[in-house]
Amino acid sequence: MWKKIGDRESGKLRPNSFITRIRSNRASSLHLSNHKELVSSHRGSVNSLQVDLTEGRYLLSGAADASLAIYDIQRATDYEAGGLIAKHKPILVDKQHQNAHKYAISTAIWYPIDTGLFVTGSYDHHIKVWDTNTTQVVMDFKMPGKVYRTAMSSLATSHMLIAAATEDVQVRLCDMASGAFAHTLSGHRDGVMAVEWSTSSEWILMTGGCDGAIRFWDIRRAGCFSVLDQSHSQLGRRPPLADKSTTKVSTSKARAPPRKVGSGSSSKHSGNSKIIKQTKGSAKQRLHPGLLTSQDRATAHYGAVLGLKATEDGMYLLSAGSDSRLRLWDIQSGCNTLVHYEIVRLQSSKAIQLDVSQDSGVVFLPCMTSIKAFDMWSGKSKMTLQGHYENVNCCCYSSHDQELYTGGNDRQILIWSPLKQIPADVDECDRSTGQPLAADEDNWSD
Amino acid sequence: METSNNNPSTSRKRSRSEDNSAPESNQSHSLDNLIFSDTMVALQMMRAQFPRIDKVSVEPFILQSQLYSSVKDRTQVDRELESLRREKVLRVFKLNTGQDDHALMFMEDYLKQMKRAVKSMETKKQGVFEWFEVHVIHSKPEPCIGHQELLSLLSLGGKVKDEDISLLINAGLLTRQLIDSEMYWFAIPNIGSVLKGLTQGRKELLSLLNRKKYKEMMLAILEKKRLRLSPLDIRFHLRDLLGSGHLKTIQTPSGLVIRVVKN
Repeated sequence: MWKKIGDRESGKLRPNSFITRIRSNRASSLHLSNHKELVSSHRGSVNSLQVDLTEGRYLLSGAADASLAIYDIQRATDYEAGGLIAKHKPILVDKQHQNAHKYAISTAIWYPIDTGLFVTGSYDHHIKVWDTNTTQVVMDFKMPGKVYRTAMSSLATSHMLIAAATEDVQVRLCDMASGAFAHTLSGHRDGVMAVEWSTSSEWILMTGGCDGAIRFWDIRRAGCFSVLDQSHSQLGRRPPLADKSTTKVSTSKARAPPRKVGSGSSSKHSGNSKIIKQTKGSAKQRLHPGLLTSQDRATAHYGAVLGLKATEDGMYLLSAGSDSRLRLWDIQSGCNTLVHYEIVRLQSSKAIQLDVSQDSGVVFLPCMTSIKAFDMWSGKSKMTLQGHYENVNCCCYSSHDQELYTGGNDRQILIWSPLKQIPADVDECDRSTGQPLAADEDNWSD
Repeated sequence: METSNNNPSTSRKRSRSEDNSAPESNQSHSLDNLIFSDTMVALQMMRAQFPRIDKVSVEPFILQSQLYSSVKDRTQVDRELESLRREKVLRVFKLNTGQDDHALMFMEDYLKQMKRAVKSMETKKQGVFEWFEVHVIHSKPEPCIGHQELLSLLSLGGKVKDEDISLLINAGLLTRQLIDSEMYWFAIPNIGSVLKGLTQGRKELLSLLNRKKYKEMMLAILEKKRLRLSPLDIRFHLRDLLGSGHLKTIQTPSGLVIRVVKN
């Protein structure tokens, strides 16, 4: 370690590779934290966790008993066991609020710009926007079905849309600026369980439905422009350059043109759809070219899509399905990269939240009662984190501290971090000074 | 380095740490001119070790979970299967015996099985089966096909009616999908009793191990057992359950032990 610091100082080791090496070392040695604990006061299973995107300081959790909690994960509230274990109590727990949700909260996300607002979605068909400091509901959207997931784009500079995935087949976009619905995206044939904004464009939304399809939407246009098909695959991280023999069989099925389409080809496709309708024998209306992909029945999974996560560079998408598969998709080519992650079983009734570490390419996936960490490119299982007593629903990785937060049906939120060295001479110091050892004297505030 | 013998009737299940690199050399295949990858060798070995069933004549098929337990790197298996599928060397079929079961069959074996099934069906209109073989099987390597596409591919052979598709379903070559009424799965005909044996054999093997005190058994003893309910041999089931993660192997000083994975 010291040698590496010396190398960095003398210029032998580049600072970026130094940082990546340390981060990946820490990320591959996660254990149940021996120096940090969250005191969870939820009385229902923890359904959603998110660390805020601006500072990485506050953890927001939503539970099945309609309670929310915010934890300050960098400053502990008190210390136990002679200052060795930092206990973090929630800053805000909300159950008896008059505007609180009535049923389970399925998703709680921070407003991506700052921690002054957060958005929660619940099985009581409502999406509420809360003001953190006053803990008041400032906006309320009523949905036609149970809300499974909400998402806001962290890249957005020109819109403040909340994408809502509900048990209804349409994905709705709620506008925070105006308090009304912006528009709806139709195309799925069953409820939508997972929704995720693209990490490379503020206009692109990815949704995964209970019908097993993953659709890509450009919200400025009608209809989705791409449906991921698990039989379209590429053998490797990126498709080979020279080999243009695509596996996309051009069929008489009407398919929306991939990506940006010129007006010429869209008229050709609408011509195709007319022909299809006539051979079917029933006189149907001509479909809008944007809705052509509602004919596309390609599935990404043999069951429902339970969770989606895009990598930070915007090039790959991970999707977890109830057929107990985790698939890695190349977003630009729309192909399955065929990386096989060794999973035996995934819970199939609830949406799960998976996470990817930023640099080291580690995927954290809740598998029943444990969390498995996989190497993203080879699919090998690096670690299995066993600690929860019941099924794990959500996990959130903070790349700032290399810590993993997981919440499960056992109402606990566990912290997994690289082990901290406990000084051997701790007992003598404690008795002599009588003060908590690890108390941080810089931890003061007006 | 390789200590297994080439004789199929006595070759034991390989331990998982060894790489399988001994091809079955006493078979005359038309596949000898293909490049041997690890997956290909495993496929051929398992095809040769497919148990002979007396009452039903079924061409050898391999389950995908068996491949996962024989070759270490699963991503490599998936990618090699994909390239073999694209080259039309083998076909992938989705089975209905539980979640995510896929059967792999070499193209010639499948065509033989298909011809056998078609011959046993006494119908007048045999033309539709030829069109199916020529136009659909050879051009569509995926395990499923949509209704419109099926009609358009079959009509390359001649005039197609809906009754022809019913003929194909009756012969066992196509199955409707439960989730989606417009899509069909390709299926292996006349395989029903073997699949029933597969599910029952799995249950029997798992219950055999679950009844033990520590839910484990030595591999040497387990291999000699015979399953009552399944016509497939125990090695077939062992490979399948190891690949799907229900069982695991543990190296002990007295040999390999098979244990049930608890979760």
